[in-house]
Amino acid sequence: MSRIKIIPLQFAGVEVLEQMLPLISARFKIETLMTTCRLDLTPFFDPVRSQYNANDIIQKLVPLADEGDKIVGVTDLDLFIPVLSYIFGQAYLGGSVALVSGHRLVNARYGLADDPKLFSERLLKCIIHELGHAFGLKHCLLPGCVMDSTTYVEEMDQKSDQFCRNCKIQLK
Amino acid sequence: MDNNLSILIVDDELSVRDSLSNWFIEDGYTVDTAEDAKVALKKIEAFNFHIILVDIKLPGMDGLELNRRIKSINDEAVVIIMTAFASVDSAVQALKDGAYDYVCKPFDPDAITHIIRNASKTIHLSKENITLQDRIKSLVNVEDIIGESEGILNVLEQVRVVAETDSTVIINGDSGTGKELIAKAIHMNSSRRFFPMVTVHCGAIAENLMESELFGHERGAFTGAQYARKGKFEMADGATLFLDEISTISMKMQIELLRVLETKTFTRVGGNREFKSDFRVICATNRDLQAMVNAGEFREDLFYRLNVFSITIPPLRERTEDIKPLTEHFVKFYAEQMNKETKHIGRRAAKALKNYDFPGNVRELENLIERAIVIGTGDTVQLKDLPLDHVAAKPTWESIQEMEHHHIQGILEKYDWNISRSAKALGVDRVTLYSKIKKYKIEKSK
Repeated sequence: MSRIKIIPLQFAGVEVLEQMLPLISARFKIETLMTTCRLDLTPFFDPVRSQYNANDIIQKLVPLADEGDKIVGVTDLDLFIPVLSYIFGQAYLGGSVALVSGHRLVNARYGLADDPKLFSERLLKCIIHELGHAFGLKHCLLPGCVMDSTTYVEEMDQKSDQFCRNCKIQLK
Repeated sequence: MDNNLSILIVDDELSVRDSLSNWFIEDGYTVDTAEDAKVALKKIEAFNFHIILVDIKLPGMDGLELNRRIKSINDEAVVIIMTAFASVDSAVQALKDGAYDYVCKPFDPDAITHIIRNASKTIHLSKENITLQDRIKSLVNVEDIIGESEGILNVLEQVRVVAETDSTVIINGDSGTGKELIAKAIHMNSSRRFFPMVTVHCGAIAENLMESELFGHERGAFTGAQYARKGKFEMADGATLFLDEISTISMKMQIELLRVLETKTFTRVGGNREFKSDFRVICATNRDLQAMVNAGEFREDLFYRLNVFSITIPPLRERTEDIKPLTEHFVKFYAEQMNKETKHIGRRAAKALKNYDFPGNVRELENLIERAIVIGTGDTVQLKDLPLDHVAAKPTWESIQEMEHHHIQGILEKYDWNISRSAKALGVDRVTLYSKIKKYKIEKSK
């Protein structure tokens, strides 16, 4: 039986993730639960960039996924992949593992008043987006679809946490 | 997003190759990788990649040399040079050697997304253009049809399609758009080109003379008809009959015309002899014939007889990109005609022309330029030579994004680049304003 497992990795808002579980489950129509794992992320820190290497973390998470499961690691740490200056999340198309960072989703980092609700909405969109990739979906050009590729939080705020009709069909 | 384009990533670092592949695969591109120039060249020789990302620092042959080699194998490939160690020299060299862009690692995700999307757009436009140009190149005698806009290229494509047939054509277009030029182009590219194109300016012929004009007349058919006269139908035997301003012909003439179009036979006025003529009809109108049919002003049966193939020429205001080449064409033409030194268009004059609506279309532009050449002095057409001072300052923004860009820039300058006050005035938060400034690359003017 396939499941989606959400794993907090140095992530402070576990209660936020708990509230998201039924929403994620509803989107993918798969049982979604939260699990823990003792993974020390220190070795993945790049002192030159002061960021954590997402590709390497993902490799460590792959063995944790049982057959058919999808794992989403969620962290507060700032992530990068070698060729990009930052990422909100990372997943391999049709792979078993996704990784999402809440670091750049926090309003306060942009000099604005903290907005936990907005943070939670952004995080949910990121998780669903990366899981979408893990389920084989590519980026979608339809504005508003959660699979729309976004590289700024403001762009992310423009899209919904829903799949468009086309992506829904592909997901099935 | 674009499943038809392929990308090759050439980088000696596995992590870079993997990261980029994954990034582009998520966007729907077909992706391949190579760890050095040798492997890359082998793959490029075997497969036509659309976009090739090349790291400068490669073992053996470096990325700049690889770029040159790629261009000699596949000149159409879009090469994007990547480097972790940017230098002006290498960037200049790469661009001189035909690279499409030069980016520094690590990339901003938004920047690389935009570069690749722009490259994709360029590839698509170039493909479309080549297809259209190739097909249009086969057209002859279309040099007078000046323009590079999609609108005019589409018209030329329709010309190409219909010229090969013998179908009746209606050319729609506002006054001054060049309907007769299009008719000529159709004629000159048809099998009838060895015969003349016989033109009838229907609006310019008095009703009582129209019959004689089209059918001809026999000697003595009416007072003053000393000699027999060939009509246009007869003259157009084997050729093309161009009926300009078809909407102006009378209801009586419409019945006659319909009969001739159906039988291709007629008799001269005042005669009994039946003539047969093999002509192709092209007509032009600046009125909506369908609306005239609905209003009972034009015969429905004639309309359907004529409306086999319809070409609509867009007005000049809908293809503003054609204003520049048309202007240059007319400057050259009239300067030669009038033996003047005028060669250029001044910046402000060009801007005013671009901003003007041209209700009289190409004909009006031609007249403006002719007048400017007459009254102008020196080698450049100046704004003062054109009666367009009133339109010079009109903004040229077309897209909402352009408008947003300029509006934000204006507000920033108004508030002396005080971000908080500007953001407040714009009704957005500071982060949004910062992201817009970055997006539109707005800079403080010095």
